[in-house]
Amino acid sequence: MSKNLRITNNNFIDQTSRISFKFDGKTLYGFKGDTLASALLANNIHLVGRSFKYHRPRGIMTCGSEEPNAILQIGNDSSMTEPNTRATEIELYEGLEASSQNCWPSVNFDIGAINNFFSPLIPAAFYYKTFMWPANFWKLYEYFIRKSAGLGRSPTEPDKDIYDHRYLHCDVLIVGGGISGIMAAKTAAKNNLNTVLIDDKNILGGTTLFQQNECFKINNSYSNEWLKKEIETLNSFNNLTIKTRTTLAAYHSYNYLLARENLTDHLDLKDKKDKIRQRLWKIRAKKVIIATGAMERPLIFDNNDRPGIFLSSSIKKYIDFYGVKCGQKISLFTNNDSAYETAISLNNRGVSVNSVVDIRDKTNSLIVKQVEKLGIKIHWKSSVINTNGYKKINCIEIMKLSDDGTAAVGKKINEECDCLGISGGWTPRVHLFTQSGGKLKFRDEDNVFLPDKSELSQISIGSCNGDFELDEVVKNSVNLTNKFLNVNNNDYENLEIIASKEIDKKNIWLLPSDKPLGKTKPFLDFQNDSTANDIKLALREGFKSIEHVKRYTTTGMATDQGKLSNMHALGIIAETAGVKMGELGTTTFRPPYTPLTFGAIVGRNVGEFFDITRKTPIHDWHVKNKAEFENVGQWKRAWYYPRSNENMHEAVQRESKAARDSAGILDASTLGKIDIQGTDASEFLNRVYTNAWSKLEIGKCRYGLMLNEDGMVYDDGVTTRLSENHYLMTTTTGGAANVLSKMEDYLQTEWPELDVYLTSVTDHYATVSICGPNSKKILSKVIPNLDLSDKKFPHMSFKNALIDNIKCRVMRISFTGEHSYEINIQSSYGKSTWEKCIDAGKEFNITPYGTETMHLLRAEKGFIIAGQDTDGTMTPVDLQMDWIISKKKYDFIGKRSLYRSDTIREDRKQLVGLLTDDPKEILEEGAQIVSETNKQPIEMLGHVTSSYFSPNLNKSIALAVLKNGKKLKGQKMIVPMKDKKINVTVTDTIFLDKENKRLNA
Amino acid sequence: MLNYNSPILDSKNYSGLKISVIEPIIKINLRGKNRDFITKIGKELSIIPPTEANTSSGNENLNILWLSPDEWLIYSNNKIDFKNNNSLEDKLFNEISKVKLGAVTNVTDHWIMINLKGEKVFELLSGGCPYNFNDFKNLKGSVTQTLVNHIDVIIHNKDINDLNLFVRRSFSEHLWSWINDGSRFI
Amino acid sequence: MFLINCPYCGERDQSEFSAGGEAHIERPKQPTELSDDQWAEFLFMRKNIKGIQYERWNHTHGCRKWFNMVRDTSNDKIHAVYKMGEKPPVK
Repeated sequence: MSKNLRITNNNFIDQTSRISFKFDGKTLYGFKGDTLASALLANNIHLVGRSFKYHRPRGIMTCGSEEPNAILQIGNDSSMTEPNTRATEIELYEGLEASSQNCWPSVNFDIGAINNFFSPLIPAAFYYKTFMWPANFWKLYEYFIRKSAGLGRSPTEPDKDIYDHRYLHCDVLIVGGGISGIMAAKTAAKNNLNTVLIDDKNILGGTTLFQQNECFKINNSYSNEWLKKEIETLNSFNNLTIKTRTTLAAYHSYNYLLARENLTDHLDLKDKKDKIRQRLWKIRAKKVIIATGAMERPLIFDNNDRPGIFLSSSIKKYIDFYGVKCGQKISLFTNNDSAYETAISLNNRGVSVNSVVDIRDKTNSLIVKQVEKLGIKIHWKSSVINTNGYKKINCIEIMKLSDDGTAAVGKKINEECDCLGISGGWTPRVHLFTQSGGKLKFRDEDNVFLPDKSELSQISIGSCNGDFELDEVVKNSVNLTNKFLNVNNNDYENLEIIASKEIDKKNIWLLPSDKPLGKTKPFLDFQNDSTANDIKLALREGFKSIEHVKRYTTTGMATDQGKLSNMHALGIIAETAGVKMGELGTTTFRPPYTPLTFGAIVGRNVGEFFDITRKTPIHDWHVKNKAEFENVGQWKRAWYYPRSNENMHEAVQRESKAARDSAGILDASTLGKIDIQGTDASEFLNRVYTNAWSKLEIGKCRYGLMLNEDGMVYDDGVTTRLSENHYLMTTTTGGAANVLSKMEDYLQTEWPELDVYLTSVTDHYATVSICGPNSKKILSKVIPNLDLSDKKFPHMSFKNALIDNIKCRVMRISFTGEHSYEINIQSSYGKSTWEKCIDAGKEFNITPYGTETMHLLRAEKGFIIAGQDTDGTMTPVDLQMDWIISKKKYDFIGKRSLYRSDTIREDRKQLVGLLTDDPKEILEEGAQIVSETNKQPIEMLGHVTSSYFSPNLNKSIALAVLKNGKKLKGQKMIVPMKDKKINVTVTDTIFLDKENKRLNA
Repeated sequence: MLNYNSPILDSKNYSGLKISVIEPIIKINLRGKNRDFITKIGKELSIIPPTEANTSSGNENLNILWLSPDEWLIYSNNKIDFKNNNSLEDKLFNEISKVKLGAVTNVTDHWIMINLKGEKVFELLSGGCPYNFNDFKNLKGSVTQTLVNHIDVIIHNKDINDLNLFVRRSFSEHLWSWINDGSRFI
Repeated sequence: MFLINCPYCGERDQSEFSAGGEAHIERPKQPTELSDDQWAEFLFMRKNIKGIQYERWNHTHGCRKWFNMVRDTSNDKIHAVYKMGEKPPVK
């Protein structure tokens, strides 16, 4: 390992700052500016993982996000470790720990590799076909399959890192900071547009940044030098935001895009703490310019997956940018001119190039001639037909191609090498364009899909738009940008560009071999381990649609979404099936472009901010008095107030008894409150409630039931007539927003002629509810000058009052069946009012009670809770509340539905009471009700909706919905549970005080 | 004696951002559709309610924010003592609601007003608000109703980098906590 | 995520809005006169078009106003928004 694989390269790598890191437990060194991949290669480590299915040794193959093989586990910490990261995208930092994933016990000796020898037995869809049956064996199979198919380890503890989200609005977003993107950014910024340029690398410039070649010059400078000066000029624009290390993850409709910015991933381990790790940018751009470039394609031939086989452009980047030699004796295999650029770069850096194998007959472009001049051997009209070397390539086999390209002919030449660069041409990165709904077109001449039509304000420029020659890239990018932005930037008008032009093109999707197809391993999808043979097998088995072939063979379904494999899969399908590629279509590229961490997706919506919490004005008192809280929608409501060692049951029994024996107090501030004003307010209420409102006297309250248009109960509550044209409506806690929105809907759309205004005042008022036989005495202490006599202040009426000069409204209404008052006062004084009532009630043992006791007390009285005893399928008739349906009103919401054939059925599920034969037995809410258990199948007749042990009745009570329940009163039913059958009797829904005597007690 | 309680009565200073709850101030919701309504309000307050969307009008005492074509929010610039002051609500209620011109509703405690000040205010909001502030921030007096961290808010651009944000009282503690948490990231 | 041009407030993010189903289905003025079938037609029958669809939307977290939208469901393009009570642009 003493080979010196690093050459001096001062441009991008800081060779003065050495960084130590660990790979599979071994300490290694790299430099600042390295990626994990370049550092591993500099340490002569190629073998980094085992393939998914056959456990074949695999090495680093690319230098970017398309990497299929170098998928590593980063970090060792049980909360911070991250699986499936691409070594080619990880910037090296001090303290980095990485390990191979898909191997056991180690990457060098992997037991699963035995699959490779059995590989003829593991064709496409092997798992689907083999482990289908017996069906109940799957659990067993799955355990072993999952264990041997290593997909990395998930962290086992919560992520300690911080993530953030940001919205960003701009005029122009440019995705990709290569030469096209930089020119576009400058053009936009110069024309005073609010511009954002993002790039996934740590430095702008794309591949041109290290293109120092005689064949590519702009204004007599190397193209990299020209571009560097352009990049420098970008700093002068205040209206241009540049974000590097930022990957565009998703491009949605209406130019809404998501980009992930890496903020600390490149920092030394000790510097990462307490900083935001990643930020997800939610970008809304008026215009989008995609300049994402192109990816090099591999070539598909036998054993094209050995460690040491790279995309040829990656070898170029490793030597030119990172100063790392991927090998000492490098061979190149190509169907186009770009491998020749690699040959020149290697030659310039003193790395010997064995030969270039080119499938084309012969070509004379500028760059090819230059390579010939350097004395590098070129095998024309030839193909690599096989490679050798188990953990690292050591030899390639070359043969001539037949004229039609379908066979390997002639003598086989063996060429020793330690690295092979392959280039199958270029694929424009159209992923974002298609994500956004854009349609592609196919260009036959070089087999590429290109952006065609889009509904959005966007363009693609540069090589992602199919321009691969430097002069065309510059010319077309500038023209398209100017036209798109409706500006005229002539900075780039008279550039003198020298560019080698590719003259000849040839493409063979699946290269021939001297062996029959079944005996070869031409890999297509390296990450999911599927070969060209798998595709052919799928076609033989009758799959035709590309989407089906993809799923059957899993080609393109790995974490890279087939960035490298899709084009070849399509090509082979088209060829085999005899259709044109353009007609075949493509599979769908879905967001994200590269995988996102869960952290980036959830951002700050964790812990305290996982969900919104709403608090009442009296919340602090409940906390101080040790209430347990219940979530009701977003509200935190006091559930019960345990004393010393009480459990919930004991606390609720005590609270319930106190409320009926003397006095209880409840925080009812969460109830929805809607202020209704307008000359048609009464008419409006007539239309939204089932009962009549016109005759309600001023100062009186009335209970109302609201239906949906389908006749089903929607919400309920008490509404008070404050004055002639002024009402205060209350709704259920959970229904508040929906009721307001529904009523607004009717007012704005169906009844715009009504003069009615609705204003939510839910948060303006705190509501303190005092109930029990002593409530009157307590209230008289709180508001001494208010006449509380039944005559002056009867049940279902309201009074304006003052407490300490603060206005309040007192309603005498009851949800417990007790004599009861509700004080509505400005929220700022809610807590103080509550405390005043507690003080005044001390001598009567006033007991604060929570939602659980409230539910129990109302159940004793048979009052429903909309949403608990109803579920959107109950009419008022089903609830035995026929009395609340006005017979006189011509219309109200839901009226017509109450006599549809289905709603008038007598055997609908209806609300009933249930008493258990054993009064100590408490039913479970949700439990099913049946009439007999012997005859199968057992008919489910209904279910329990509310169930409690009533301390006031000293027995268990329940409400339930039961088929034909009204007629079953007095009948025996059975509630079957897991371990027993509970016998119950159907009863009336009111269990306590049927005569309502307590209301005026 | 009843005591006044605000869910938050606090102010915090961060670099480039000062946040403070300013209470109690009067807040009154206005609803009305016809010209007479606008004229009457104008006469009573000496401020014409704005009819242009997303704008406000005001003087040294009061602001009127546009909320929708038939809805406005009045709020006072100065703190007041409610025990001795219900006059504005009463006056408007008598002059508008009573005479059937529209609706006047006291929402003083429905909303909590948080003042956000400093060059980082818009950066702070961009952490959880989908609204495009690019034009808004340069238009003094502009108003928007939108979401911040999934919570409904009304935002009034008082001055350059000086915003009054209204949030419903029950949500205010949660939003306050979110704003403080967010200040770490700007 | 759509960008919706509220007819009252201007362009806003979709998260401020809620969708309210098919537009231009008027609630019958005299429901009692209708047969079960006619009422069911109003109550339940909604189109689900691939292509141009007329929809109701509410600016829930803004001005709370309902309005109508013409949207192509095949590509989510919004062709028009207009106030309640106004005539649809083309129908």
